[in-house]
Amino acid sequence: MDSTDLALRAEGICFAYRGEEWVLKDISLSVPRGKATMIMGPSGSGKTTLMKVLAGILCPQRGRLEALSQEVGKRTRRSLYSLIGYIPQQLGLVRNLTSLENVLMGALGRCGHGKVMLGLFPRHEVEQAQAALDLMGIGDKSSEKVFRLSGGQRQRVAIARTLLQRPRVVLADEFVSDLDLALAAEILRLMRQVAEREQMTFVANMHEPQLVREFADQVLILDHGQIVRRFPTDGSQERSPSEVLQ
Amino acid sequence: MRTDLFIMALVAVLLSIVLGQLGFFDAARLTKGLQNMGILTWEMLPPDASVLPVAGEALWETVQMSFAGTMLGFLVSLPLSVLGTRHLFSAPVSNLSRLIAAGIRTVPVLLWAILFVILVGLGPLAGTLGVAAYTVGYLAKIYAELFEGTDPEIVEAVRGTGASRLHLVRFVVLPEGANAILTQLLFMLEYNIRASSILGFVGAGGVGFVMQVYLQTLEYRRLATVLLLILVVVLIMDGLSAWMRRRFLLTPQS
Repeated sequence: MDSTDLALRAEGICFAYRGEEWVLKDISLSVPRGKATMIMGPSGSGKTTLMKVLAGILCPQRGRLEALSQEVGKRTRRSLYSLIGYIPQQLGLVRNLTSLENVLMGALGRCGHGKVMLGLFPRHEVEQAQAALDLMGIGDKSSEKVFRLSGGQRQRVAIARTLLQRPRVVLADEFVSDLDLALAAEILRLMRQVAEREQMTFVANMHEPQLVREFADQVLILDHGQIVRRFPTDGSQERSPSEVLQ
Repeated sequence: MRTDLFIMALVAVLLSIVLGQLGFFDAARLTKGLQNMGILTWEMLPPDASVLPVAGEALWETVQMSFAGTMLGFLVSLPLSVLGTRHLFSAPVSNLSRLIAAGIRTVPVLLWAILFVILVGLGPLAGTLGVAAYTVGYLAKIYAELFEGTDPEIVEAVRGTGASRLHLVRFVVLPEGANAILTQLLFMLEYNIRASSILGFVGAGGVGFVMQVYLQTLEYRRLATVLLLILVVVLIMDGLSAWMRRRFLLTPQS
């Protein structure tokens, strides 16, 4: 596959937290543009660490990482931030701010330090933030503080924040793991619609094989910091993710 | 379990030795003290209400000094504590900021008041500056530790949107710490009202000067009036801070 067709490409990535053993060992992967890639694996297999490395939050000690055909390094990391949206496991919402204010965080990368520091965002950004909340079906919760929202509503706020960022790639770390299956499927369906409409690449860590089967174009199985299986789920492989995991 | 008992016994023995050295087992002296307390209480009753205008005016000055000093100290302590937050600023910057806060904190509030009396002369200005300096030292340390405890996942998520360090302070660190910022500020204000009431002893303004005069002239009934007035102000402050906590702090999800 041509490198311009890839949203992310990693070669020989190794990562260890300071003074500890390798968490990621020689990871190589390719994430095609505009597709949904799901990463599965048992707890402690290094999924969250891999996600943070791909998001540019953690810097690998070895290996090479390319995002949108640019090498991710100290110089390029900051410019890539606005192109790569990251939704952490606990969503990373500021509890004491309203839904709308949290969504507006997605626009900070292009807003400078003027009136924004007084909480006065440009009108078009506020309108777009409200539109993102409307799209997520929680437009009426825009002035509600996040700590008052339910789990599913918070999930939608986090997605709306990522949408306002207008990224080309969205990395989501088990962001629906706290929801029941039906709600998780609904959120993922919403995410897929948005990703298709905005031509976004979607990469997520996921535990639930049923959701992976329904939503993934590509599946990577991680174990002990290494990718042990990779396959598409479009029928070209016979085994399902759940069978491989077993 | 046995180790815990040994440690508790050791602490009890040490405490007994220290109390003995401080004169806590001197029965004659303690009995005399109790008798004196009875006499003093008797001489304080009934409080002399004729000094209310004078005492009230002096106490109002103390409240003004405490409020202004606390707010000035708060405004200086916020940027200092942000600079002292290790996951936002490099080690040299955060260490320098913490060193400055520790240096300010080393000096007790009464000594700050004396220093400012020397610098700007007698009166409430010196007291206000003294309260402000003490507040900076205390709040800068508390806030720096508070900001460092901000959930790293929120910082990562917002930094990932392209937010700058200044954005992170404004939109993550301060809102996430809002509860504790307000709680500590109210605690500091309450503490400063009590602490400033003695600053007048060193000529730094407020009700302390009036108290000192009544103590030196043995006018204990007048002193009792001043103490009762301070009690009223402290109770009002307690009520006010309880209201503010209820009004502004996060409440559990309903």
